[in-house]
Amino acid sequence: MADDLILDVQDVKKAYDGLEVLKGIGFGLRKGETKVLIGPSGSGKSTLLRCINHLTVPDAGRIYLNGDEVLDTNIDAMRARMGFVFQDFNLFSHLTVLDNVRICQIKVNGTEKAAATQRAHRELERVGLSDKADAYPAELSGGQQQRVSIARALAMDPDVLLFDEPTSALDPELTGEVVRVMQQLAAEGMTMVVVTHEMSFARQAADEIIFMEDGHIIEQGPPETMFTDSTHERTRAFLNVIAEHG
Amino acid sequence: MDIYDVLLRDFPFLLKGLGVAIVLLAALLVIGFVLGMGICLVQLYGPRSRLVQWPLVLYERIFRGVPIIIMLFIFFYGISGVWDISAFGAAVLAMGLRSAAYQSQIFRSAFQSVPAGQMMAARAMGMSKIMAIRHIVFPQAARHAIGPWTNEFSSEIKETSLAYVIGVVELTRQAHYIITSTQGNVLTVFAVVALLYFILNRTGNSLLYALERKLAVPGFEK
Repeated sequence: MADDLILDVQDVKKAYDGLEVLKGIGFGLRKGETKVLIGPSGSGKSTLLRCINHLTVPDAGRIYLNGDEVLDTNIDAMRARMGFVFQDFNLFSHLTVLDNVRICQIKVNGTEKAAATQRAHRELERVGLSDKADAYPAELSGGQQQRVSIARALAMDPDVLLFDEPTSALDPELTGEVVRVMQQLAAEGMTMVVVTHEMSFARQAADEIIFMEDGHIIEQGPPETMFTDSTHERTRAFLNVIAEHG
Repeated sequence: MDIYDVLLRDFPFLLKGLGVAIVLLAALLVIGFVLGMGICLVQLYGPRSRLVQWPLVLYERIFRGVPIIIMLFIFFYGISGVWDISAFGAAVLAMGLRSAAYQSQIFRSAFQSVPAGQMMAARAMGMSKIMAIRHIVFPQAARHAIGPWTNEFSSEIKETSLAYVIGVVELTRQAHYIITSTQGNVLTVFAVVALLYFILNRTGNSLLYALERKLAVPGFEK
């Protein structure tokens, strides 16, 4: 594998009951890069993302994070180095916003409480929610909850952030605030893999777009190429549909 | 001497009986809690092997399926044949083991009512399964369990009176002594006893509801 890859995904395969969802997917990510996975639903994007941190255990293939292979035996430690942002946020509902952002720093990374608190406040400021530290998740809008979950992931100081359709559960007027945070992170040099249908984000923030269909990568390239003169009929068809509806 | 004088004179005995009932209640609830939680955790998170799961199901079915009065007889007369067990000990054991079967199901449904995404998010952040259960799932499940657990608490208070049948000198038996010694006055004596059970029940329930309110998560619709 190339030494400068933060994330190296090699030939990942996954089948459910004989149905192949991922048919051998590979891609790499350098430090500071943002790659956006797009494709029709059922194409395997989310499964691929979940295979990276073994929320779904792949049937075959290898995944390396900074040169270390992700294995069942080291999975907790590896996950602590990969932030994961869910479609439906999954904030810990019994904890305040501050505790949501702090608990895994303390329990997983062993950070001292004072330092974890400081870090939590810094990340909340970064996502524009300093004033919500004492609120509970159920008191927040969906957009705010998703920004807290981004802060929660950032506070772990991850090598890479994985976003699984982070705006799909949000009302259209709330997606903007989440997309802006993600764009800002991309601009600041965060390393990110994003599954999304937000083409504006893909266009502006992605270093590379990966188009998936039927468990294969059909095409990948920088957004300007993909959006203007994609060589593949399927990619163009998909982007046209998105453009019409989005 | 009319019955009210007798009641006044013998009230300390009723209180003593009440005390025995409370100790029995506390003991059986503790056994039920610890064992029930253990059963619930193994059922939900333990090995899926039938060797582990089937005995738990069997245990739960038996203790939920047999009347407590029969269990009391079996435990008292059955065990005392091979091992010197007091009536009180037999009652604690029979009722505690039965409560465990019920409590395990209360806890199981409480744990299952916590959305799967909570465990998933905790694991995705690098928590081990045990850490995720302890810090994320358990605190939420515990909140959901208080309501149904209040029910179990109420049932068990009332069922402590069944320990009477194997000779535990708890509240009901003390009442019976008074009735025997005064030859009659059944209604008056049992009315007082009913009131004592009722007060104990309401007090316990109020405390549990207060706990439920105190732990309620703001903004969380129930």
